Order: sequence, then C-alpha cells, then structure tokens
Amino acid sequence: MTTYIAKRLLMLLPVLLGISVTVFLIIHLIPGNPAQLMLGERATPEALAALEKQLGLDQPLHVQFFRFLGRVLTGDLGRSIRSNKPVISELAERFPATIELSFFSMFVAVVVGVSAGIISAVKRYSLFDHVSMFLALIGVSMPIFWLGLMLIWFFSVNLGWFPPSSRLDVRFFLETYTNFYLIDSLLNRNLAAFLNALWHLVMPALALGTIPMAIIARMTRSSMLEVLGQDYIRTARAKGLAQRVVVFRHALKNALLPVVTIVGLQFGFLLGGAILTETIFSWPGVGRYIIEGINERDYPVVQGTVLLIATTFVFVNLLVDILYTFIDPRIRYG
Amino acid sequence: MAVAEREIRTKAASQGGWMMVYRRLTKNKAAMVGAVLVGLFVVSALFAPLLAPYDPLEPVAPPLEPPSASHPLGTDYLGRDILSRIIFGARVSLQVGVAAVGIALVVGTLVGAVSAYYGGWADLIVMRVMEIMLSFPSILLAIAIMAIMGPQLINAMIAVGIVAIPTYARLVRSSVLSVKEHEYTEAAVAIGATDLRIILLHVLPNCLAPLIVQATLGIATAILDTAALSFLGLGAQPPTPEWGAMLSDTREYIQRAPWVMTFPGLAIMISVLGFNLLGDGLRDALDPRLK
Repeated sequence: MTTYIAKRLLMLLPVLLGISVTVFLIIHLIPGNPAQLMLGERATPEALAALEKQLGLDQPLHVQFFRFLGRVLTGDLGRSIRSNKPVISELAERFPATIELSFFSMFVAVVVGVSAGIISAVKRYSLFDHVSMFLALIGVSMPIFWLGLMLIWFFSVNLGWFPPSSRLDVRFFLETYTNFYLIDSLLNRNLAAFLNALWHLVMPALALGTIPMAIIARMTRSSMLEVLGQDYIRTARAKGLAQRVVVFRHALKNALLPVVTIVGLQFGFLLGGAILTETIFSWPGVGRYIIEGINERDYPVVQGTVLLIATTFVFVNLLVDILYTFIDPRIRYG
Repeated sequence: MAVAEREIRTKAASQGGWMMVYRRLTKNKAAMVGAVLVGLFVVSALFAPLLAPYDPLEPVAPPLEPPSASHPLGTDYLGRDILSRIIFGARVSLQVGVAAVGIALVVGTLVGAVSAYYGGWADLIVMRVMEIMLSFPSILLAIAIMAIMGPQLINAMIAVGIVAIPTYARLVRSSVLSVKEHEYTEAAVAIGATDLRIILLHVLPNCLAPLIVQATLGIATAILDTAALSFLGLGAQPPTPEWGAMLSDTREYIQRAPWVMTFPGLAIMISVLGFNLLGDGLRDALDPRLK
C-alpha cells in the first residue's frame, strides 16, 4: 500500500513540473511586453522598469523559471498588480468559498445521481427510469451558465425563495476562522448564519452540480444493470434474499466502483465550472478571481489561480486513485 | 490489376459495413432525434441570411420588447431581433465547432499516430505532454490560453481546439497500438510499404469509428466551451451574434426581460443535445458490442 502511494506520488512530479512550466509560460507567451500590458499605455518608464524588475523579466528565461519555481515552492506567488497584496493570501481568502461550493455541489450530485441511477436500474424501463434518464440527457447538454441564470430568474426573481448572489446575508457577522462559512457559523455557535449560508449555497450548487449529477446517474444506472445481470446476483436471488439485500449489499458495492472514478474526474469539471458559476452568482471564490485577473490584465493573479486549481485537481485525482485501492483490493495486488 | 482488385474489395467491404451502420443508426430513435436537431442547426447556420427575418446587427425595434408576432423571440437591450441573432448565432457556433474539432482531430491524430507507431522517446514525451494538458480542468486550460492570446472569437476556437487534442491523441494512440500488432500490418511492412503508407492506409482507417464518435461528441463540447468563454467575455465580442456572448450581461434585465436570456441558452442546449444524441447513437451503431 505504502509503495503504491509512494509510486503514485513519484509519478506526480513530472506532471506538477509540467503544470508549473505552463503557468510560468503564461506571462511569457503574451504578445508584447507584459509589464506594459499590465500597467497600461500611459505607464512611466520608471514604473515599467520597476515592474519588470519585480517580475524578474530582465533576467534570462531559464533563470526566471528557476526563480519562479523557487518562489512557488516557498508559497510566494507574487503580488497582485491591482491590489498590491500577495496573491497567495488573496487566494487563501477565496479558495474556501470555491471548495465549499464544489464539495456541496458534489455532495448533492452524488446523493441525487446515485439514488436516481439505482432506482432507474432496478426499475428498468419504468416511468421513473425514462423520466430520469431523459432529465440526465438534458443535464449533460446543459450550459451551466445559462442554467444559473434561469435558476436566478425562476427561484429568486419570480418566487423569491433563494438569494441570487453572495455567500451570506450582510446582516450576519461571522468571526472567520476557516473561511468555510458552514464551519465558521458553527464555530460562532450561530445556527441562523449556518442556515443562511446553506440557503445561499443551494442555487449555485444546483447549477454547478447538474452536469456531474447527470453523468453520475447515467453511470450508476449502466454499471448497476451490468452487475445485476451477473451470476452471483442470480445466486443471491435464488437463495431467497430480499430484493433490498441483493441490491444494496450484493450489487451496489460492485456497481459503485466505476462511479468513484467518475466522481474523481468530475471534481476537475467542478473546479472549472466554478469559474462560470461564481461569475453568475457573485460568489467570492477563486473562479471569479481569475476572471477579474484576466479582465484587469493582472497576470500574477491569473498564474497563481491556474496553478492552484490545476494542482488541486491533480491531488484530488491522486486521492481518488488511492481511495479506489481501498474499495477495490484487486488494484492493489494487480 | 492488383490495384483495381483491391479497390473493388475495399469498396465492397466498406459499403456493406457502412450500410449496416446506417441501418442500425436509423433504427435508433434517440439518434434520429439528434440527427434532426443537428440538421436544424446546420440548416439555420447555412441559410441564415435567408431564414433570419431581420439584420442581426441592427436595431429594428424598441429595446427589450417582449415576444410578439413581428419579433417571435422579442428584442434585446439594443432593440435587435433575438430570433435573427440566434439564427446567425448557429452560423458562428457551427464554424466554431467544426474548426475547434478540426484542430483537435488533425493535431491529435497526427500526434497519437506518430507516438504510437514509433514508440520510444517520442511516445514518452508526447504522452507526458498530453498528461500535463489533461491535468488542467479543460475550461481552465482554455481560459489560460485565452489570457495569453486575448479575447477574440478565433482565439476561443483555437483554445477550445487545443484543449481537446489529448482526447484524440490518446484515442488514436491506443487504436494504433492494437492495429500495429495485427498480421496485416506486419504483412504490409514485409512487402516494404513505407511508414506513411502504412499509417494512412492500414492503421488510421481502423481508428475511424471511434474518431467519428469522438468528433461528433466533440462538436457538442466545443459549442458549449466556446459559449462559456464568450459568456465570460473572453470569446466572441459584441456585436457578434454568438449565443454565449448574447447571454452575458443579461442579468441586468433578468426581471424586465427574461426572454433575452432564455432563448440563446435554449439554442445552445438544443444543439448540444443534438450532437450528444447523434454521437451516442453513432457509438452504438458503429460498435454494437458496447451497447
């Protein structure tokens, strides 16, 4: 087990190096002088020279890369041109908002998707199966930014059920410890704030979670159908076991294996989709941060955010692979 | 004589094969719905100037008019006819989808075929690069590329195309690796065929089925991703009638004029659904074992 994890970690090194090269290159592939672009047309030569020096642009490329790598490894992602604050601390402030949103979306997607998939498989060709698979098909083709807008229109503007933006009503004050509002509100022993934060999460999570939900539902259904057709299930049924026991104890365990992989892959989609969802719902996470960075030509912000999201994605996938070996021992020994 | 004989044989074989695929495809209702949606999309793209009732770029009525007989989908904040903009938007999306998939298909196939056929260092390096590209969530990589190239529709096309390269490269690579082991490839090598000839005539035709499926589904993804980039302000710029761009900034009118944001999104969803259904259908038709 340990050797397996060690091997996987070692395999990660070239990928992480590749990610940092890509992120490093962002600023160097921009046509023109990046310092000029960031400061605008009317920048003074002194300011330009100062920024070039700050960014290290006056050095040869390989020197710049190793400096960049060294800084990144010590947690220094440079300063935002706009706010002049360290990018790492701005990211640290915003990242919990993105993680909270992604996890909650995934939670909803897994609960709804897996349940719908199981019921669809067990009651194959029933009305429920047809309706949920039709919805899943629509879900896979859904532009999430449009879904977000429609949710706002329907549930906020028309019905007034859910708030259309932000993480918490302004009337709440939270002492922040983790920047995860669901956790912070509990640490503040403020149940009303907890419920309010949850309330704010519902619509963005639904918008973000729809595609993974649809994919998980389809995957669970087909994998469940495959397992239900196997000999050992027939044996279990022949022994006279209740349908419930056969489905949940015998079939589900094996049927969920491919679903775990899908869940891992979908996390990447969530981190990417968060960029869109956060823009629509004015969610103060890293997704909105990178778009602001691009619009303001604040390249250290762009670089830092890309690095953070890509690295997170890589580690989530590693985690899923490791989790997989726990669920399916065949891989460990294979 | 040998050439003619081979032509006849491959023709017969492929005709029979494709006929069977066609028959299986037309029997699949979902795939046919997809084909109709795709047809609708392509027709409105090709004949946009004939179909659209108004100029998509010029104001033709008061702004934010609700749907009516003269403007079935209403007008936008500048008073432009939304139906006309959506019809012309199909043109933009079709171009984007075909161009992005074209880039991904050509580069991906080339890279995948070469790396699998030659193996060794080429394979190792190419596949590492692909792995690194896949370690970015695709929309993030596209956004990073857009940050470098600047917000323009053509750049969005290229970015979406680049992001999709690894999918095709991996697909072709694995197909080539399996075809390489077949006896007919060995036979071709034995009679002295060149590498290029072997790859083009013997190896690639055998990867065609999965590539067709992937390309069809890929157009759906390309349309979706480009619309997303445009929605974020990174792709098509005003006044281009691009569906994603038509949706950005509609939040301001969400209360007064919900039709402004309803229809462009519906257009995206329906065309993406069409390509997804058709792609799924093609997969089932081309490889019935997968069903």
